[in-house]
Amino acid sequence: MSNLFSGINARLRGTSSKQASSKSPVSPVVEDARLPSPGGLSKRSKSSSNLSASNLSSSKLPPLPASPALSQAIGMASTGDEVLSSYRLPQPLPMWLNPAYAKHIVKGNFMTLSSRPKTVEQGEWIAHHVVEHYRNLWNFVHVVYAKEANGKNLCNATTCPRMSAGPNHSYTWLNKSGDRYERVELPAIEYIALMQRWISSKVDDTNIFPTDAAGVSFSHSPNIANTALLSSPDEWVGKRSGFPKDFASICKTIFLQMFRVYAHLYWAHFVEPFYHLNLEKQLNSCFSHFVLTATALDMLKPQELEPMQPLIDLWAANGTFPPESKAYEYANLKVGTRLLQMAGMA
Amino acid sequence: MDDRGNRLYLNFGSNNERLAATDRTYPTTPSTFPQPVFQGGQAASQGGAQPPQSYQQGGQAPAGYFQQAGSNNQYGAQYSSQLGAQAADYGSAGQGYGQARSTTPGANNDPNTGLAHQFSHQNLGGAGRASPYAARGPSSSQRPRTADSRGQQPGYGSYANAPPMPTQPAQLDYFALAPERNPDKYGPNANNNQKKCSQLASDFFKDSVKRARERNQRQSEMEQKLAETTDPRRRESIWATGGRREGSYLRFLRTKDKPENYNTIKIIGKGAFGEVKLVQKKADGKVYAMKSLIKTEMFKKDQLAHVRAERDILAESDSPWVVKLFTTFQDTNFLYMLMEFLPGGDLMTMLIKYEIFSEDITRFYIAEIVLAIDAVHKLGFIHRDIKPDNILLDRGGHVKLTDFGLSTGFHKLHDNNYYQQLLQGKSNKPRDNRNSIAIDQINLTVSNRSQINDWRRSRRLMAYSTVGTPDYIAPEIFTGHGYSFDCDWWSLGTIMFECLVGWPPFCAEDSHDTYRKIVNWRQSLYFPDDIQLGVEAENLIRSLICNSENRLGRGGAHEIKSHSFFRGVEFDSLRRIRAPFEPRLTSNIDTTYFPTDEIDQTDNATVLKAAQARSAAAGAPPGQQEESPEMSLPFIGYTFKRFDNNFR
Repeated sequence: MSNLFSGINARLRGTSSKQASSKSPVSPVVEDARLPSPGGLSKRSKSSSNLSASNLSSSKLPPLPASPALSQAIGMASTGDEVLSSYRLPQPLPMWLNPAYAKHIVKGNFMTLSSRPKTVEQGEWIAHHVVEHYRNLWNFVHVVYAKEANGKNLCNATTCPRMSAGPNHSYTWLNKSGDRYERVELPAIEYIALMQRWISSKVDDTNIFPTDAAGVSFSHSPNIANTALLSSPDEWVGKRSGFPKDFASICKTIFLQMFRVYAHLYWAHFVEPFYHLNLEKQLNSCFSHFVLTATALDMLKPQELEPMQPLIDLWAANGTFPPESKAYEYANLKVGTRLLQMAGMA
Repeated sequence: MDDRGNRLYLNFGSNNERLAATDRTYPTTPSTFPQPVFQGGQAASQGGAQPPQSYQQGGQAPAGYFQQAGSNNQYGAQYSSQLGAQAADYGSAGQGYGQARSTTPGANNDPNTGLAHQFSHQNLGGAGRASPYAARGPSSSQRPRTADSRGQQPGYGSYANAPPMPTQPAQLDYFALAPERNPDKYGPNANNNQKKCSQLASDFFKDSVKRARERNQRQSEMEQKLAETTDPRRRESIWATGGRREGSYLRFLRTKDKPENYNTIKIIGKGAFGEVKLVQKKADGKVYAMKSLIKTEMFKKDQLAHVRAERDILAESDSPWVVKLFTTFQDTNFLYMLMEFLPGGDLMTMLIKYEIFSEDITRFYIAEIVLAIDAVHKLGFIHRDIKPDNILLDRGGHVKLTDFGLSTGFHKLHDNNYYQQLLQGKSNKPRDNRNSIAIDQINLTVSNRSQINDWRRSRRLMAYSTVGTPDYIAPEIFTGHGYSFDCDWWSLGTIMFECLVGWPPFCAEDSHDTYRKIVNWRQSLYFPDDIQLGVEAENLIRSLICNSENRLGRGGAHEIKSHSFFRGVEFDSLRRIRAPFEPRLTSNIDTTYFPTDEIDQTDNATVLKAAQARSAAAGAPPGQQEESPEMSLPFIGYTFKRFDNNFR
């Protein structure tokens, strides 16, 4: 298999720099610095919304506006409508933004599934969710990937000549040729297939995702003196459980890549085929659980959610995301409430 | 936001330690667990299939640990104020969807939509969160929150007549129009994938919620243990052990198990649907019995419901009377069940060896089987196939039940067509394995020793055949007039008869004859003259092998336990006394008590590979690498990994 790396090439068609200017200048995307050498995925975003990680991690109290939309909303006292229009969504709005189709097969607080059990070591918990969400996502991909009688996938080079998430975002692979990375535009289905191969190469690698039960550790508790575990200068997520140093950054990349696939499924396939197959509630539940988990584990940053920001806003407003979740924090309630109003539901 | 802070810190019992955002250990709360939103009319029955106990357990956890109802109310209140008006007229909104959309070119033709909306919107209201246990699905306690009473009519029919939506403003201008749903537009593949995808998604949430709930339970148990000691080292070890166990379980969950992870030591059983092997896990050397079932056979012979039933009953059971199930997994060709290995063999092998038992020994086994059957009944299952081959003996010689292939939950009705056919059909040719035995048809109640020995020799073959032996099955199961838990007590009677007499009471050359004898048990039940049975023993047998209305045990196992045959038996401590036969073993992989020399030691996987190689050599196209949907679909959800049996 050739060395293929994915890169985001988030083309903002139409003007987009307005949003960027409204935000504080920030450092470049953080993982770029700790990218694993060959084999890793590189990403660059031309999207206007980069927030530094330090900004993020300190944002818990008091809740800083983390979403680009939210910061804008507060800064300019924008209405839901104004923020919504700044998203530059197609009109009429995609069907998945209609609250009537943003519903679920489960109800209740999803955080109960994402929050780490106290005793479990963080790396172990992240690994668990990577695998769970990977399995979930591929149930849906399987639906668009399956060949029909005419020999075509539901998602094919004609329906989706590029890997995209709506008119504003498209993604290219970074293909390493020699020392240089080369952007390759691929039909969505090929991009997704390559991505699946890449993700499973990581998930199945027991050096990255160890499976030996003997290596399992536990979390440090401030209340319990785990004397032996305290103060290691060179600490990383999952170190004690045998996860490698670049584990967290690999997982972040996996989550980001999975997010893109979800985004593509929403933008390109929500109606064809998920709505027609009565699977949109399943998709909604799996994706909202995915967003909750990925943000709670700091695997996705607010600006990375951009292609799906309005749905996240809606889910914050309709109670899918509990107020204590990071996903809720990253959402713009005004937009969500406006969407509910548009549907006559608020 | 103050209430946000409260909500979060409440769980730690201390407001002083603010954890970093990345380190938030947010104990999950049973009271707000995601609940499946069941669609349409299935809601009630699906909800009811879950064991109600687990909910109660969740609710009984120490109050300090879980979120208080108050905070839930807060949460709800916040929402309902936010969404107030909306929540109020949701009921009619849900009701009116079909109507509203039918004014558009693409009319809604999905009868579930309106209802499902009605159900799923209910979580938006405040009250639902306070008592989610009472409110699984569209329970009446939840209904009144939908302001519009029309929203409470569950029937599909009602909503075609629903009045137009009161408020459906310019919605259609804002959002892309929803076309008419057309699930059939993509062809068969997509529809199979649809089922698979839908099933997997709901299984995912069901399993995740169950696991989270159980994890909370363990966590609160751990907290209790922590609270009981102040010794820092003890506390540290409680914490570390707990964390390691949870971590191992998570690792176990994300590791795909496969048969290559195990070494086969011996094949200890073979049947029409698969085989049972004694295996040793390569990673840790632990010994298990691995049952592998051939998917195509299960599919062809319509055994899917049985597979699922067996998985469920074993998975739910914690009983010492039931064989432990550690995990289930599957590949393209097989379903695998990794179970505890019981080195003592089974009662059938023992009966073949000893022919008859003394009354004392019989009393011991029958008493233990009573407790075992009772345990299965208490799980809500009817075994329906209690027979000596399914009664295994553990290391200490005590009884455990296995093979729930025919078990059924009480609410499910068994399709007895199969039995009906057998009953009415002419005896088609006798099965091969009995061809050689010529038992005089007239002399049906065999007391001829040599004929009995023939029967005994053939019985193992019989046990491995597709149909199995009907010898122990109660008549009401064949006749199709309904049956209940007491059918297992009939089986107990026939086993007791066999222990004391040497053959089962309705033993015949041909299973059709056996069926007929069972149905005509009044005429055919016969105690041979040359065998002396105690009065109480015969009385017990006759009170079990009788019509269902009069059968002992119909009112509960206590009726049987208090029969005078068991006078002096202390049922409560039975499992702790020494068994009459204790297996003598030289190692943990000793298969002395299994007839391994009578079993072809070539495993099915090898046979299958050879067959595939042959067909490839013959120029047939290579078998599909990816399993076809019709093969994978019925087995979704078969994979099972439980915490308790593996990490406790």
